[in-house]
Amino acid sequence: MIPRSWQAIRSGPWRVAVVEASMRPAIEPGDWLLSDPTVRRWPRRGTVVVFREPGSEILAIKRVAARPGEVVADVPVTDPDSGEERRVTIRLSPDEAWLVGDALDASVDSRRYGPVALDRLVARAWFRYAPVRRIGRLLR
Amino acid sequence: MSRFSQLFAPSTVVRAHCDIPCGIYDPAQAQLAARTVARMVELIGQIDASSSAVADRNKFVRCVQVKEQHAELVKREVQVIWSDYFKPEHLVANPDLHTKVWNILKLAGKNKQSIDADAAAQLETAVKEFADIFWSTKK
Repeated sequence: MIPRSWQAIRSGPWRVAVVEASMRPAIEPGDWLLSDPTVRRWPRRGTVVVFREPGSEILAIKRVAARPGEVVADVPVTDPDSGEERRVTIRLSPDEAWLVGDALDASVDSRRYGPVALDRLVARAWFRYAPVRRIGRLLR
Repeated sequence: MSRFSQLFAPSTVVRAHCDIPCGIYDPAQAQLAARTVARMVELIGQIDASSSAVADRNKFVRCVQVKEQHAELVKREVQVIWSDYFKPEHLVANPDLHTKVWNILKLAGKNKQSIDADAAAQLETAVKEFADIFWSTKK
């Protein structure tokens, strides 16, 4: 568990706007979501989370596909020396999650940048409040 | 709806980071990051090196942190454009593209490891050159 100061929690974000399409059809570009920045652990599988992408400052949104301690099977990797492509199994460490977009063909996610550490987690997205015709909870 | 927007629009944007719309490539991010690295080196140079005042140490640490983040951003932005945008036919007009990218990545690393105004200026120049090559392929 990472301690988060009350200040961090107060600064939110409590609402986010989504751009880009890797979470279609559950989330469309232009959707406005309510988010909960008080999360201190990786939420349950299927939960939509807001986090900082490893290695960059990009604030991204994906779904939790696997939690700490769990095993992710059949991950395609490229050997940096030989260029050869293999499939490996990854066991997530106690503070890592595997995050994947719903639109698998288009999404840049853990399959590209690997597991995401808990200190990158920013919020849990739980409700869409706009556009009005699509109001409702985000389902797992 | 616009009244609603005014009242309820989120201030935070999140990216459902996607390969397809990211077909809008732009080296401007890398250029901005290189500029930031150079600016941080400048700011660090202005801090009194012998000072042990907390305010100075705080500023120093923060500048170094931003320098590190933006040197990494240069690497990532340049690498994405190099690997995802450039095609074999672009090498005809720019046969030394791979070497140029290699050098940018090494320069970015050097700027992380040191506080060096020359290295920072070289990084900006190299990234500008890369951006020029990018735009030349758009003509």
